[in-house]
Amino acid sequence: MKTKDDFPSLNERPAEGVGPDGVPFRVLIVDDSMFIGKQISQILSSEGFEIAGICADGAAGMERYKELFPNVDIVTMDITMPKMDGITALRKIIEFDKNAKVVMISALGKQDLVKQALVTGAKSYIVKPLDRKKVLERIVAVLNK
Amino acid sequence: MRVEYINPFVEASFNVLREVLQSDVKRGELYLKSTSMPVMGVAAIVGLAGDVEGRVLFDMDKPTALKVASAMNGEELPTMDDLVKATITELANMITAQAVTKLHELGFRFDLTPPAIFTGDNMEVTDQDVEALIVPMEVPQGRIEINVAIRERS
Repeated sequence: MKTKDDFPSLNERPAEGVGPDGVPFRVLIVDDSMFIGKQISQILSSEGFEIAGICADGAAGMERYKELFPNVDIVTMDITMPKMDGITALRKIIEFDKNAKVVMISALGKQDLVKQALVTGAKSYIVKPLDRKKVLERIVAVLNK
Repeated sequence: MRVEYINPFVEASFNVLREVLQSDVKRGELYLKSTSMPVMGVAAIVGLAGDVEGRVLFDMDKPTALKVASAMNGEELPTMDDLVKATITELANMITAQAVTKLHELGFRFDLTPPAIFTGDNMEVTDQDVEALIVPMEVPQGRIEINVAIRERS
C-alpha cells in the first residue's frame, strides 16, 4: 500500500532566498559584466531573493550600498571593474558598515586578490564560471553565519 | 610556436565550454596558419604582453555566437545585442583566466588586455612574424575556433 510518505510534498523545501521571518533577503549585485549580473540575479530571484540593485562599477556599488542601508542583506562584488575595483569598494563598504556581508566574484587565477579581499573583510568568494548550486551555497552560508 | 603556450588554452576552452554549455565538446584537428586568415563573424580578442606576447582570438560565426549566448543565458537571444556581446566577452574572460593561471604556474609572466569583441562580415586577421595555431572546438551550438598567436619576447 502506498502511504503519504511515498508522495513527499514538492513545496516542502523553503526557498533559500527567504529568511526565517518570511521576508526575502535583499541582494546588491556589483558587476561590470551584464552577463554575470544577469546570471546572478536570475539564480537568486528564482530562489526568492529580492534584487535590491545591480551596479556596473565599484563606485556606484558603494554609493548604492549607502543609499540602501540598512535595507540590504548581502552584496556580490566583482573584483576587476572600471572606475573603482571591487576590493576598494569592499573596503569602503566595510568602513561604512563593519557588519556588511560581501561575497567576492572572481575569475580563476586571482587568488592573491581573493586573499586580499578576505583579509579586508569579504565573507566568502565564488569563482567563475558561476553555477547555480555554488552561488546559492556560498550566499546562503554567509547569510546564516 | 611552443606547444606549452597552446595546451593551457586548449584545456581551458574545453573545460569552460563544457561547463557553461553543459554539453559535450569535441576538439578538432589543430592547424597552423602563417598567412592572413578569415574571421568567421564574431571574434573576441584578448592581448597578452610580458615574457610572451601576442593575442588569442575566440572566433565563431554569428548563429553560433547567438546560440552559445542563448544557452549561457538560458533564454533565446535572437539578435546580436549588448547582452550577447557581454556573454561572449565573459566566455573569453573565463577561458583566458583559466589558461593564464596555468601559464603562470608554469612560470610565464605576462598581463592581459580585457577582451574586445569584433563583429562583421568578410573580416580577416594577419599576424606579422607570428604563426597562429588554430584549435577548433565543436559544440552543439556550432564551431568555435581558438586562434592563438603568441611568441616569446625577443
